[in-house]
Amino acid sequence: MIAPAECRFAENMALFASLLRANGLPVGTAELLDALQALSFIDIGDRRAFKTALRSTLVKNHRDLEVFDELFDCCFVPPEVHTQRLKEAERQREQQQARLECAAHELSFKGEPLQLSPEEMLIYTSLPERERESLHRFVRETEAAEKEMRPLRPLLETVVKGQLRYWHSRMAQASAGDAAAGAGAGGGTGRAAERERRLREADIQQLGQEDLPAAKALINRLSRQLAARLLQRRQRRAPRGALDFRRTVRANMRHGGRPFLLKYKRKRPAKLQLLFIGDLSASMKRYSSFVLQFIYGLKVAVSNLEIFAFADTLEYLTPALKQQAGLEELLERVVLHGKSWGGGTNIGAALAELNRDYRELLTTRTVAIIVSDTRTINLEAALPELRRLKERVRRLIWLNPLPPEQWPRYRSVAAFGEIAEMWPCNTIARLEEAIAGRLFAASLYLDGEAVMR
Amino acid sequence: MHIELAELRQRFADVGYIVDENAILTVFLALKLEKPLLIEGAPGVGKTEMGKVLAEILDTELIRLQCYEGLDETKALYEWNYQRQLLRIQIERGQEGAQIEEEDLFSLSYLLERPLLKAIRSPHRVVLLIDEVDKCDPEFEAFLFEVLSDFQVSIPELGTLRAENIPVVVLTSNNERDLSDGLKRRCLYLFFDFPDVERETQIIRAKVPQVEEHFARQLARVVAYLRRQEELRKKPSIAETLDWARALVVLGKKRLDGELVAGMLNLLLKNRQDQLLFHRTIGKEGIDRLLRQGGE
Repeated sequence: MIAPAECRFAENMALFASLLRANGLPVGTAELLDALQALSFIDIGDRRAFKTALRSTLVKNHRDLEVFDELFDCCFVPPEVHTQRLKEAERQREQQQARLECAAHELSFKGEPLQLSPEEMLIYTSLPERERESLHRFVRETEAAEKEMRPLRPLLETVVKGQLRYWHSRMAQASAGDAAAGAGAGGGTGRAAERERRLREADIQQLGQEDLPAAKALINRLSRQLAARLLQRRQRRAPRGALDFRRTVRANMRHGGRPFLLKYKRKRPAKLQLLFIGDLSASMKRYSSFVLQFIYGLKVAVSNLEIFAFADTLEYLTPALKQQAGLEELLERVVLHGKSWGGGTNIGAALAELNRDYRELLTTRTVAIIVSDTRTINLEAALPELRRLKERVRRLIWLNPLPPEQWPRYRSVAAFGEIAEMWPCNTIARLEEAIAGRLFAASLYLDGEAVMR
Repeated sequence: MHIELAELRQRFADVGYIVDENAILTVFLALKLEKPLLIEGAPGVGKTEMGKVLAEILDTELIRLQCYEGLDETKALYEWNYQRQLLRIQIERGQEGAQIEEEDLFSLSYLLERPLLKAIRSPHRVVLLIDEVDKCDPEFEAFLFEVLSDFQVSIPELGTLRAENIPVVVLTSNNERDLSDGLKRRCLYLFFDFPDVERETQIIRAKVPQVEEHFARQLARVVAYLRRQEELRKKPSIAETLDWARALVVLGKKRLDGELVAGMLNLLLKNRQDQLLFHRTIGKEGIDRLLRQGGE
């Protein structure tokens, strides 16, 4: 049985485990018991050994290691650090209080404080020195000006509130930027998990230049993982089937008909054929190359991948890619030396060319993926071409980089959306969801026989 | 297995396997708790090596199960030697009056032992290395989980076989997919990151002693620099660093420069796109700059 002193310790450990759980780590009783048992083999006084023992028993995923480290450093501190922390917190509270009093004094109008919420007061106290002074000066000047004019108090309150809101959002942005820069400088350690989450959720078109390498790496990783999963699934769906009598008999002829070697049936599912048509016009270039990179990584899991790019005309990229130029180099070259690149986007002309010159690539096994923000010249001409394409291929998907809330603004989105399946893909998370979850969903995965329409 | 922490640390050093204190402690706990050790990390950071080294340290046999897609129980656990059984029947049939009992056909001599069964039936404690467990199918993973929970196997014809000595199990994973929670729950977890410059220098010195300290550090710095390039598809592994070091020894080189690195890039970046990326974004100049920064 556990002695009382140990009981207290076990209780603390349980508390720590629940803290881990609250932060998303799957820590169960089994892990906790392992941890307690592990501690019996080490010198508990050795902080590093203590940490390692908990880490190797409680954390089972490298993505969770950072969270663990952070929580551990929070929870298990030497006593002197603990008292110091308490003091520091107390000091900060006092400082905050003093600043708030000062703020109430500064933001007053004729001796009476302005009607501001506590949050707004807090924002004021955290403003940079210069901004706080200028706002303070503004309040005083308004106070002085009132002699000549009608009551200014409500107006002043509105202005001050507006200013504070503005500064609040600006500071929030700046600190997010700092965090990102910090993560970059830290060589991927630090807040890597946090950064990845941010990249996944960020609008691809809005990503800053400094985020691009990390975003590309993320895309590559996701696409590799998906390819591995797809290949595995194929394997799993092609299990050792029933005994194949015909092949067994045949293989055993030389053994005098004794069933010496057994042959089994194997199912071999057909792979998808993908046809990628990406808008590489100036505004869409980055987005399309992101999507293309994702899909290109899946090459091993599909039987055929054809790549087209267009702006105002169509360009067939597959042959160039087979001459083993890297994907990125190729895209650069296309954008630089394309036939008549940089002009307006003309989806209709591009699709017409596809329907006319590359008909042999459009089969009932093909899934066509168009990547474009739907903005094009001559929308009316594009619609019948898109319909024609849809009739020829198995499935027609449109990945749209516009955030869904903007869709109603464009007539073209609705018009194209009636013909093709249009999926929102403005973030990496959505892109992954669309391709992994929807495009390669089990039902779509062609099973053996050719698909009849 | 009675081994103390200090002793374990010493033996790791003796065989020239350089790991950090965390790893040693985790291995120690895995031995004490008699639990499997799951090692995750990028390819080429020495995960598989850990299994081999452990066998060497503990002076015991290493049984290796390499996982791959489609690996099933007949390849991992046991299989009846169907052909041999059939032959036996044929032989018996030719002889007058011979009678074969069913038990005769399902005895140990007709059993093909695969790695897992071999580890369980071994008379002493062995090291069982289950390599690249993320490559196997989830069904197999579930089965593995079962075996690792009880260390016993039921063979319908023979009954239940229980491990006499619970093997030291090391599982490795390249993170190609997440493993099931159940399997992870059974294991102690260790994550291997690429080593820092200091440790990689030590590793180079331990494995390729002809390389001098200063030169080894230069190599380690270049490799660490390449690994920081997030866009690389495949970052150079420790094995590749070592190959490179050996090649440099053969060439009789004593110091690095950008020209040399660019010329031997094939040993570090084994992917055309990564090489193009190197030439586009780093180039000889980048390496020269890096080497200068460190001061000689």
